[in-house]
Amino acid sequence: MIYFQVLANGLILGGLYACIAVGFSLVWGVLNVINILHGTFVVLGAYVAWFAYAYFGIHPFVSVVIAGAILYVIGHAIQAGLINRVIAAPVLITLTLTFGLDLMLNNAMLVAFTADYRQVNLANPLPAIIIGPVFLPGDRVAAMVLAFLLTGLLWRTLRDSKIGRAIVAVRMDREAAALMGVPVARINAITFGIGALMAGAAGALLSIVYPISPINAPIFLGKAFIVCVIGGLGSVPGAMVGGIALGVVEAFGAFWFGPEHALTISFGLLLLLLFVRPGGILGKKGYE
Amino acid sequence: MTMTHKVFSAALVASLLAFGASGAAAQDVIRIGAPLPLTGPLSPEGLKQQRGYDLWAETVNAAGGITVGDTTYPVEIVYVDYASNTPRAVQTAERLITEDRVNFLFSPFGSGAAKAASSVSERYGIPTVAATASSAEVYDQGYQYLFGTFTPNDTLTEPLSDIVTSANPDVKRVAILARNDLFPLAIAQEMEKSAQARDLEVVMFERYAIGTMDHSAAVTQMRAAQPDWVFATGYINDLILIRRQLADQGVDPAVITMIAGPAYREFIEAGGALAENVSSAAWWHPAVRYDGEDIFGTTENFNAAWEARYGGEADYAEASAAAAGAILQLAIEKAGTIEPSAVRDALASLDVETFYGHVRFGETGQITSLEPPVFQIQNSRPTVVFPEAIKQADFLFR
Repeated sequence: MIYFQVLANGLILGGLYACIAVGFSLVWGVLNVINILHGTFVVLGAYVAWFAYAYFGIHPFVSVVIAGAILYVIGHAIQAGLINRVIAAPVLITLTLTFGLDLMLNNAMLVAFTADYRQVNLANPLPAIIIGPVFLPGDRVAAMVLAFLLTGLLWRTLRDSKIGRAIVAVRMDREAAALMGVPVARINAITFGIGALMAGAAGALLSIVYPISPINAPIFLGKAFIVCVIGGLGSVPGAMVGGIALGVVEAFGAFWFGPEHALTISFGLLLLLLFVRPGGILGKKGYE
Repeated sequence: MTMTHKVFSAALVASLLAFGASGAAAQDVIRIGAPLPLTGPLSPEGLKQQRGYDLWAETVNAAGGITVGDTTYPVEIVYVDYASNTPRAVQTAERLITEDRVNFLFSPFGSGAAKAASSVSERYGIPTVAATASSAEVYDQGYQYLFGTFTPNDTLTEPLSDIVTSANPDVKRVAILARNDLFPLAIAQEMEKSAQARDLEVVMFERYAIGTMDHSAAVTQMRAAQPDWVFATGYINDLILIRRQLADQGVDPAVITMIAGPAYREFIEAGGALAENVSSAAWWHPAVRYDGEDIFGTTENFNAAWEARYGGEADYAEASAAAAGAILQLAIEKAGTIEPSAVRDALASLDVETFYGHVRFGETGQITSLEPPVFQIQNSRPTVVFPEAIKQADFLFR
């Protein structure tokens, strides 16, 4: 019976992991940029939600929209102003660039917000949902549902909208897309903006779950990285599957082998997958 | 023997003279090296220590300095950031001694880094005060130059266990969740011993990895184990998250104890209503009352100086850092010289009252004379429940 609880823990965690990772995966898959800024974007989104709640009483679930919009603007500007200049360079150059930008943004946040941990404490938290022996924390479940909705929305956007098809086209073949009249530089900026938007939205959702501090940025980045490699790069379903797989594996790993081994197990899984399926569970190049 | 040789020798002599001159100039001030994690994951802790050292140094310099015989020296603290990286803390300590030529050293943060760096200061014979190292293992190397201002870990868990078991005999089952890290694990093991010594049943003892983002598996196990007392260790980030996840899964035991987070203002602010009734123990609390011979004098004076400089109240780590400076100052004044081995002897034989508590170091260099207070968050304030002399309220069960 306790296994249902462990499974529920894993699914809730996995939904949040998926939401953290999907923007990172999109940017990596489409632009071939390993965006080291991603973790800091997540934390920035969490700060937006924290300030909105502390000063204006805006519920973090509403702040998802605000944080997403703010981060979109920042992401779009960074890609259009900086990364687009070196986008054709080898991946190490863009990695170094985002690494440097991350140092600057993260330290600016440390100065502005201090390293003190904060947390959104909702005045009216949702009650827990109790199904038999399974205990589901209301706010976490709501955050997970919203995370899935957001991720689903992104997936539909990529499939059905003109911009989405253009993004997928750039991902499949940059030169061919340019020849077909796709404004590649603009699509790059929009894609990076959407990646940042998803990070900001994830951060707003996480603000009610995790303590907020710039120091936590590398932890989020690390999770995004593993989820992408497990699920397969650049596809929304890949990030979903990767996130849920990681969440469930960590939950059962921690339950069976003790919490101190949860990280070892997830990295072990990562290594194993790299041997068996280097492209990830759903890794299929060029398909969306 | 040629011209070039002579020129070279002359240059050498000149540079030696210049070096000697600067060496003499350096003696006009007492320099204390402080390797701290000012950036990286431990930066909140590093900044706390810095605040404590700064307040002490500013207070000393405002009073003119430290009087040694006929000379009055101002103090200068040389900070170096080791970016929360222990190997770099050790290199930094060595650099402070060999290049910055500091007279004394304050240890890097925490038990692990303090132990690692103590081998360097021992080798160079530089008296070193550790403001945040409590584990007995730090002091068991037979070193002569290392002194610590935190008592061993069991001085925290023992009084806590006494209070809980005497006030509520129904508390029988203890669940322990520990961060797999030197201090948090050591204090959890002390708790296990304290519990077993009182015939409490330890129904769970789990450790979690540094950087754990989710404690739901441990909390699920805990819920199944039905503890009366949850004892969780870690740093502030971990403990906020654990407290939240206990509530998420409806684990609501009679006693929740967390070390070392609740002493910090951020824990209460971030924890909100969930922080209420969380108990903890620490080496110092603003409510203690001592009348010291050090530069701060009484605890009230120290609190007032802190309030004026930073606003709010100091926590135990901040107070311990300020105390480290005050204690070093007492030892220098007692020795009547800044010669390292004399100051070391003065530290070893110190037996004096300070704003921080009574200071006497044991054989190993670790302080033995403190009586750490137990406190509990009541009405969003850390409230002392032990020792009797400074108690502000009774221990509350949930």
